[in-house]
Amino acid sequence: MATLFGALSIAVRSLYAQEGALDTTANNISNVNTPGYSRELPILNEAPPLDTGQVSIGNGVDFDGVQSVRDNILELRIDQETQQQSQLQSYVNSMNQVQSLFNETEGAGISDALNQFFNSFQQLADNPTDIPSRQAVISAGQDLAAAFQQTGQQLSTIQQGIDQQVVQTVNEINSDTTQLATLNEQISSLQGNSEQAGMLQDQQYSLLNNLSQLVDVAVTNTNSGGLTVTTTNGVPLVAGGQNFSLSTATDSSTGFQDIYSQGADVTSSFIGGQLAGLLQARDQTIPSVLSNLDNLAAGIINSVNAQSQEGYDLNGAKGTNFFQPVVQPTPGSNAGAAENMAVAITDPSLIAASSDGTQGDNANALALANIQNGAVVNGDTATDFYSSLVSEVGNDVSSATDEQESVGLVLTQLQNQRSDTSGVSLDEEAANLILYQRAYEAAAEVVAAINSITSDIIQTV
Amino acid sequence: MRINPDLTRDMLAGLAQDRQQEDQAIQELSTGRKVNQPSDNPAAVAGLIVNNAQTSAVNTYLSNIASLQGSMQEADSTLNSVITSLSQAISLAVEGANGTLNQSDRNALVQEVNGIQQQILGYANQSFQGNYLFAGTAVKTMPFVADSSLSSGVSYAGNTGVNSVEIGDGQAVPTNLPGSQLFTAPGADVFQALADLSSALSSGSNIPAAENEVQNAFNYINAQRTFYGATLSRLNTATTFLNDESLQLSQEQNNLVGADMAAAASQLTQAETALDATLAAGGKVSQYSLLDYLT
Repeated sequence: MATLFGALSIAVRSLYAQEGALDTTANNISNVNTPGYSRELPILNEAPPLDTGQVSIGNGVDFDGVQSVRDNILELRIDQETQQQSQLQSYVNSMNQVQSLFNETEGAGISDALNQFFNSFQQLADNPTDIPSRQAVISAGQDLAAAFQQTGQQLSTIQQGIDQQVVQTVNEINSDTTQLATLNEQISSLQGNSEQAGMLQDQQYSLLNNLSQLVDVAVTNTNSGGLTVTTTNGVPLVAGGQNFSLSTATDSSTGFQDIYSQGADVTSSFIGGQLAGLLQARDQTIPSVLSNLDNLAAGIINSVNAQSQEGYDLNGAKGTNFFQPVVQPTPGSNAGAAENMAVAITDPSLIAASSDGTQGDNANALALANIQNGAVVNGDTATDFYSSLVSEVGNDVSSATDEQESVGLVLTQLQNQRSDTSGVSLDEEAANLILYQRAYEAAAEVVAAINSITSDIIQTV
Repeated sequence: MRINPDLTRDMLAGLAQDRQQEDQAIQELSTGRKVNQPSDNPAAVAGLIVNNAQTSAVNTYLSNIASLQGSMQEADSTLNSVITSLSQAISLAVEGANGTLNQSDRNALVQEVNGIQQQILGYANQSFQGNYLFAGTAVKTMPFVADSSLSSGVSYAGNTGVNSVEIGDGQAVPTNLPGSQLFTAPGADVFQALADLSSALSSGSNIPAAENEVQNAFNYINAQRTFYGATLSRLNTATTFLNDESLQLSQEQNNLVGADMAAAASQLTQAETALDATLAAGGKVSQYSLLDYLT
């Protein structure tokens, strides 16, 4: 049998439910600008009816907590694109520094020094006994050596800067995985308290998105609501409540930091995120640019020295090395040739311009000048080799930039899609606010009505 | 259907794109180049490096030519003086062959011939910017010295070396004739001819033979001198060619990296218009929500 107090309790229950819904709306509005926040919906259910003999009477509404509106698949897609985007971003940032060293459109740099150097031999050939012309050759040689030295040193400096970023990134990864492990533990201890779990999951996804900027991740959901996170190539990061920290240690051969996971060197296993972009620049592209530069420097040094030894100086003595000879750290490797390039002679009369020991003969100076048109490295002239080196760097940056732009477009679209589903719309929340407010007012009216009825009854009695 | 409530992301992406276009246009206009870093157009930058090397080579060839022209002209005009002197010697020989002259007249002619020989010795030791012009490659050694042990009275201390200078890719021109080839060539030795003329005039015999000898030397030097004339004219032709090439290279450079100013200016206007529009739209979009209308 229905009772007045039964109706009162239904109305009060409705008041609670609308309060819960209003709280949810208020929470959504408060988090309208919170990154990673997924809007929440109040879960309102019809309360189980009260059976009184033959009739069932509705028992009002239950507030069963809140539910986050989130598309998990979309979140993972965003994470994947984010990995690619940040990989390209960090790679392009590093390589932009590299390409600024080869900015030949300004008319400065190695190619200019190269032209000046060989031209100085041409001018010496015009007047092989002229001391100022000889001095000019030494100056041009020093300028060329300085250009190689600076470019080589700056490449190393860029590499060292990237190396520091690698360590920072590893620290950030460790901080994220520690937090993820803690969250996993909290979620599994909640065991089905969906309201709190939903909030923690927001944090989980937000952390995962952060982590995706740093490194490529593969995610598996466990039954308890926790996440198992590894890299794409299986380096473990988080499993349940445990996180697997990455560590760094100096590689004795390169001098840079290698990355270790549980004792194993995993440096070359990363394929996405900022870390992969940094490692690609540090371990692949820059070493290749540097080695080309070293080979070019060594080619020039060797050719000029060999030709110098063919000739005779102003005193009629056999020519000596013009540049300090290349010291190969290991056979076949010219590493360091650019950074250590230097002119070996300071006395202008020692330049071997003559081919027969006569002071005024210029044939060896001409031969030295003509090294510019001969193959000095890999069958290429110095100019051709250098121009293809610069265009390779340019191509590299331009294709990575293009790719970054297209990934960026996809990412923006995915993020828009995420907002379609999970973003807080103030209009919607305002409409909900009216809805819940009116419902609350109505429930309050019911309470008032029952109050009035019971009061009537009491007075009648 | 639910609409993405967050319009700022699209707006920011649009703004970034507009700003980038604006930046690029401004950079093109301010530098005058459409390629400002290798990634802007890697192929053009590679072409530019090769172009710079060629331009620099052309400039060097032009400067080689300029410095070569000086010494060539000096040598040419020196030889012209030698020829003038030799033709004077021939006139003296003709005069000396005249039977009406007595010994003292001929002695006066001998003095003149000896004077001419000294003059030519001076010409043969002519230097240009501190280098002897006719010493072969031994440019610091005075090439012709008086030597009484020889019948010609002059010996050659230079060498037979010939230097070359490049005036184009793979094009080298010889820059000198060794003095031994010019002045002491067998059969046309200038100093020998003048010494013979001098002794013929002193003795009064064999004057026509000596005259003939001087005439030979005169013809020979005249023929050799064309080397300088021909080289100078070759240098002039090369200069014209190199100036053309320099012009072409600078046009090519402009094609590679030069900005089309009109296009850049209109791109700038377009980018600015787009930027204004996006900003105006963005300013309107997020001003209101339903909350503003609830009281």
